[in-house]
Amino acid sequence: MDGLVIGLDLCDTYSQVCCFDKEQSWTIPTVICRMKDAEEWSVGEEAYGHILMGDGVSVDKLLTLAGKDGTSTIGGIKYEGCYILQMFLQKVIAIPVKEFQNNFISQLMITLPDADVKLMDCLFQCAENLGISRKNVHIISHTESFCYYVLSQKKEIWSNQVGMFDLSDNSLRYYELKVQRGLKQVMIVAEHEKLEEGFNLDILGTSAGAKLADKILCACGERLILKKLYSSVFLTGRGFDNREWAPGFMKMVCSKRRVYMEPNIFSRGAAFKGADYLQEKTSYPYAFICEGRLDTTVSMKVLHKERENQLIIAAAGDSWYESQNSVDLITDKTRDVELIITPLDTKKKKLVRIPLESFPDRPNRTTRVQMNVSFLDEKTMVVELKDKGFGELFPASGAVVRQEVMLWA
Amino acid sequence: MGLILCRQEPVKHPFYIERLGIHIYSSQELCYVIYNNPLLVLEDFIDEALLTFIREELDMEFLAARLEKWRRSGENNDEQLLIILQECDYYTAIEINRFRQHILMIRKMHPADFEKAKADYIFQQKQYGKAILAYEKILEFPKDHFVNDIFMGKIWNNLGTAYARMFQPEKAYQAFDKAYLLTKDQAVLQRIYYLSIMNPELSQKERYQSLMTEELKRVWDVELEKAKDKAQTAESIVELNKLFQRDSIKRMAGATELVSRWKQEYRTML
Repeated sequence: MDGLVIGLDLCDTYSQVCCFDKEQSWTIPTVICRMKDAEEWSVGEEAYGHILMGDGVSVDKLLTLAGKDGTSTIGGIKYEGCYILQMFLQKVIAIPVKEFQNNFISQLMITLPDADVKLMDCLFQCAENLGISRKNVHIISHTESFCYYVLSQKKEIWSNQVGMFDLSDNSLRYYELKVQRGLKQVMIVAEHEKLEEGFNLDILGTSAGAKLADKILCACGERLILKKLYSSVFLTGRGFDNREWAPGFMKMVCSKRRVYMEPNIFSRGAAFKGADYLQEKTSYPYAFICEGRLDTTVSMKVLHKERENQLIIAAAGDSWYESQNSVDLITDKTRDVELIITPLDTKKKKLVRIPLESFPDRPNRTTRVQMNVSFLDEKTMVVELKDKGFGELFPASGAVVRQEVMLWA
Repeated sequence: MGLILCRQEPVKHPFYIERLGIHIYSSQELCYVIYNNPLLVLEDFIDEALLTFIREELDMEFLAARLEKWRRSGENNDEQLLIILQECDYYTAIEINRFRQHILMIRKMHPADFEKAKADYIFQQKQYGKAILAYEKILEFPKDHFVNDIFMGKIWNNLGTAYARMFQPEKAYQAFDKAYLLTKDQAVLQRIYYLSIMNPELSQKERYQSLMTEELKRVWDVELEKAKDKAQTAESIVELNKLFQRDSIKRMAGATELVSRWKQEYRTML
């Protein structure tokens, strides 16, 4: 592999970066500093140095800022949140580039705790501005990174069910991965739960706080994993860097289970997936059903050689963000476009009929419809139907029908 | 009934069909043109330029190779049209078969009759300039059992109509004159009368004065008035009237658009 495959876990407080096939990884606060009197940016220790010296101004919560189209004014200059995030990305990517003396990035895999279209658009734009080709940049959810990390391990670790606790600042999440066999394709179903019991890690500094935190985790553990069988359980997040504060939880979770500690699970998982993009044949021949992936197949009946065929527009397991499809269709004695929505539970299959309202009347088979399908999230599909006419024989009218379709309630 | 999935065709340079004065951008449009204009595509339609379009723009190398092979074989050229229809997945097998029957029927026509049908079709497409050339070509056919005075009279009559539509009354008059000599058809006489009314500068031959009796003129005048009344309610006139009711800015914009459309229409006629 010639270039670097970078796995970047971007969170509002801390970010982690690592490269495929390299042991080293970096954890840096998601904070950027700009010198008060110069257009110079820094991150990590250097940034803290400037902030302490008082010659720099810091900006934090960079993902929230960019996702909400926020701005920050430093030294009289108003910066867009997206631009600040770009500066941060540039500095973070420069770390492995410098360390491994390789400035060719063959894949940049970004993993986010929560997928947000606006933030994802912004990140793609940032990467493009940094000279990384769009096709070499991918964004996945933490849940998907977790899947890729686990599936990259020995099979006995994930042969059945895998659980994971992620304890970070003010956030406690539980992830679960199940392997479903016996289908046409092995299905990996993963989900996460954002637990309300999340706490500020600062409370671990006092013995009373640590005891309370241990109790909270024990209660969560009892509720979530006590009566389940696991192939393995993972612990990740800054909260588990030191586990001495949680003797009760560790005792419970380690009882008759294989438990692994991995601080960089998301960035490593992302890097594994990034490396897989470079393979001719995937090393993960599974259907993934998790956050960021569709759990519904969208198809339609089309005529080909006078026979009715099923055309898959988006398949369950596809990344909803990257799943954008465009097809041209010609109407044959119909004024509707009918889509078949098939969830994993095929009994709940439904039909969605979109009438071609405002499309002009023309002789049969002289209306070409361009159908663009994209997704706003896992459950919302946007269908756009454009009248393309029939060349100069029947010019396009400019009619457009746009409809949002809820894949599931 | 349903939706036909279109293949991806990376057409950057559309194909110009001179006979129809249009560009086509897809294999479906190509099929549509063939199917709906058999008279125009039966001769010299499939040439090197079309094959290049099929190969390079439609990205249908296989079809282009099949057509080339067929051309080299020297077999019935009409079959090439059917090959295109079969390969493009736009018309059904039943429709293609119907088209085949239609071609066979056309091929059984007398060559002069075929040329007339072709010229009439071009005329219907309002391409009067091309229609005139086509009718003039028919006049060169030698006389036989089919190409008789009645047939030639019809050709002259159509030629006259085409000239009239091209605003060339003198040539139209001469053509109608020949048509009447051959057919003695009263409908032709009526056309000559109308042509004279609309173009008073035309000098009518004396013999027509006696043929056009007052009685006939009265009947024709009534018909003309009816046609004028009908024309007043024509969509294009209604549109024009509406345009003149608008404020001056909108009127000018509309008039510019209309004149440009008329110019386009006239260019197509040539």
